[in-house]
Amino acid sequence: MKFFVRSSTKRCPRLGVLRCTEGKSEVEIETPVVLLHTQGGHIPHITHEVFKLVSKEPQILQIPLVSMHSFKDTMTYYNGTISEFIGSKNSLTCLTLHDPSNLTKQGHHTRDKIPIWTKRGKVLYDADMYMDVVESFKPNMYYLLSDGDTNKTSPQKRIAKAVEQTVVFNKQCLERHRKSEVLKKMFVMAPIAGGYCLKSREHCIDRALFIDANEIDGFLIDGLHNNGPEVEFLPFEEIKSILEFSVDKLPPEKLCSVQGCWSPLNVIKLVQCGIDMFDTSYCHILTERSAAMTFQIDTSDENNDYEINLRHHSLAEDFTPIIDGCECLACKKYTRAYIHHLLTVQELLAPVLIMIHNIHHYLRFFRKIRQCIANDTLDEFENFIAGRYENYQRKTTSSVEDKIISENIGDNI
Amino acid sequence: MWRFFDVQNTTNLTQLFMSAFRIFKQTSTKMTENAKPLVFNIIAECQTTKARTSKMILPHGEVDTPVFMPVGTQGTLKGMLPEQLEEMGLQIMLANTYHLGTRPGPKILEKAGGLHKFMNWNRNLLTDSGGFQMVSLLELAEITEEGVKFQSLNKTKGEVMLTPEHSIEIQNAIGADIIMQLDDVVQTTVPDKERIALSVESTNMHCRTTRWLDRALKVHKNPNTQNIFPIVQGTLHEDLRRISAKDLTQRVVNGYAIGGLSGGESKDEFWKIVHLCTDLLPKDKPRYLMGVGFAIDLVVCSALGVDMFDCVFPTRTARFGCALTMTGQLNLRKARFAKDFQPIDEDCTCNTCKRYTRAFLHGIVTELPVACHLLTEHNLAFQLRLMKSIRDSVCEQQFPAFVQKFVFDLYPDKNYPSWVKDALTAVNIKLL
Ligand SMILES: [Zn+2]
Ligand SMILES: [Zn+2]
Repeated sequence: MKFFVRSSTKRCPRLGVLRCTEGKSEVEIETPVVLLHTQGGHIPHITHEVFKLVSKEPQILQIPLVSMHSFKDTMTYYNGTISEFIGSKNSLTCLTLHDPSNLTKQGHHTRDKIPIWTKRGKVLYDADMYMDVVESFKPNMYYLLSDGDTNKTSPQKRIAKAVEQTVVFNKQCLERHRKSEVLKKMFVMAPIAGGYCLKSREHCIDRALFIDANEIDGFLIDGLHNNGPEVEFLPFEEIKSILEFSVDKLPPEKLCSVQGCWSPLNVIKLVQCGIDMFDTSYCHILTERSAAMTFQIDTSDENNDYEINLRHHSLAEDFTPIIDGCECLACKKYTRAYIHHLLTVQELLAPVLIMIHNIHHYLRFFRKIRQCIANDTLDEFENFIAGRYENYQRKTTSSVEDKIISENIGDNI
Repeated sequence: MWRFFDVQNTTNLTQLFMSAFRIFKQTSTKMTENAKPLVFNIIAECQTTKARTSKMILPHGEVDTPVFMPVGTQGTLKGMLPEQLEEMGLQIMLANTYHLGTRPGPKILEKAGGLHKFMNWNRNLLTDSGGFQMVSLLELAEITEEGVKFQSLNKTKGEVMLTPEHSIEIQNAIGADIIMQLDDVVQTTVPDKERIALSVESTNMHCRTTRWLDRALKVHKNPNTQNIFPIVQGTLHEDLRRISAKDLTQRVVNGYAIGGLSGGESKDEFWKIVHLCTDLLPKDKPRYLMGVGFAIDLVVCSALGVDMFDCVFPTRTARFGCALTMTGQLNLRKARFAKDFQPIDEDCTCNTCKRYTRAFLHGIVTELPVACHLLTEHNLAFQLRLMKSIRDSVCEQQFPAFVQKFVFDLYPDKNYPSWVKDALTAVNIKLL
């Protein structure tokens, strides 16, 4: 797999392509791209068979190791690749350490080891154990092991430690990478640690580039947050300088990625800074709160919303789709009232339908972003989404106030 | 083309043409009748047992019988999309009146244009009366001539009354193709014959269940699109079953259910009642055995002449990591599957068996919702395949041989349960 960027100007929205030639077939994936976030090898609630109803285009599955750790031993006996094992042999896969949709527990560091938090508790990974997994999983892309346990509030000591560990891990993992025939053809990405400290970021980047820039196909700006739903509300201003600084330092011909449930507006801002790769964990956290994305992507879209909560009782008799005119299966065949019913009786199909719509909408959003870059209209689109988001926030705060007022009235009665 | 024209066994050809002739004759007469919401065309009958196979035509399409109907209690089936179910060839599923009557409620269902539209399922539906669910979910207060009275579980401690009329009213709003009368639900394990007799017979002309049927038929709003099936009651008492069946067969209905079984009675008692009821019920109408769906029960009861089955088991058990196969059940949670790279079943053509190994499923069952979807799909495919094998073997006049092999595969040590042996002996099948 190789990455080709169309414009190598620094720190600007850019179009590129990930080209994967395996045997006779060649797959091309355009960037900025969104990886399909998975748990146990599946987009949460969506079987591969159902996903065929959402999209038939080639996709890259993001495989968080933490959700696959229980298969670590099994995979050493299995002959195929991780994509075959999870039942989706035609998908491309990208192995990563943590699950961006779940808050990663902080601390619990041990020298030269990284804790991951599986359903059965803490497991410590060192570079060798991690590379064993990469070798037996055989993903198409992977990140070198890193210590990304930093956020806005991390003290300097933790940041320094994170960088130090990441540099060591990068070196150890690459040594294994060089020696292995299996690993050689994989797309390798080096995580850049360093929290919110420019100096630490610089140090980490210098070391990563020092090792061997030619061996690395891309980078991950790691250590901006500890994953989970809070990332949605991370103010862009907080990460802006770190991000711009890091992107400036990195070689422009390489792929640059971030992970996490960034809000749509922040996704655009990240693209504006030159980020090429994201993931769909945002769809997952929305679905978990029974919310469907309804923000307008094209100005011809009829809806005026940003997001709707399908649990809301006002939808009990709403026999319209989530979005009128949306081409997804959930909108073409099912109503808000039905999904609302499924939610109130806690049926498994509710998150299936919501997720079908959310993934469809999010993939459409990324297509739009690429179009806007091509037409040089990303600024307009950013302003448009920003306006929608502001409207929505005003509406939700006022409806919360309404609710408080009506509850107070209720008390008086 | 009818499947059985391919059959090569020449000795049976005359019989085959005879039955084929019968069908065509039947079809042509039935077709001329005015819009009837159920047409039951028997395609072939087993010459040894009471098994038969038919094409039943309902308002939302054909149903090949014997048929297994999975249970989609709240207007959905364990996370499966109706698109997937249709693709698998499912022709009919069940929904529960008590649940749907509570949420979303008949008003919303009516506004939605019925459950088919609400849940985007364009094939057939069957609803129960709601009585059985209420007995198991609420505290039964009292059964009176008017209906079944329950103690509500909510804080107000009010009483809820379900009458035969109310049950039909809700089922009319749901709009299923086959609907059930409210029957006098007495558990089979109730030892009090007098109480049961009250359910079945009375000093009046006929039993309470029959009186309730008459009330149900009277208020039924959609006789052209929905079929009411009455329910033969009488628990394990043959005399009461006879009275019940006699009464009900005097009413104008398009099919019958056999109720009050699979409630904890012994299998030795169970099969005898099924055997009796299929003898008592008319041959030219479908017979639905309620709440039965284990593989062995489906095979034996098909041999006894049952046409329709329903059971929550195949879909419910999927959630706990249990996969059904022709040789029994696999509990995929077991550690021995961790390195088992075979599909659940080599012979199964479902998507789960095409894509996944037991080892992978072992790692996700009971952990991820998709695992439940995947096992549900396999278990449904298993039930559908089993029923198809039954139908095909009846068509090909190979049913007795099919039963022998099926039972032998399930009990390779030939340690057959006595009820299976007895029931099959009663319909002239000797096990291997
Ligand atoms: Zn949609
Ligand atoms: Zn299968």
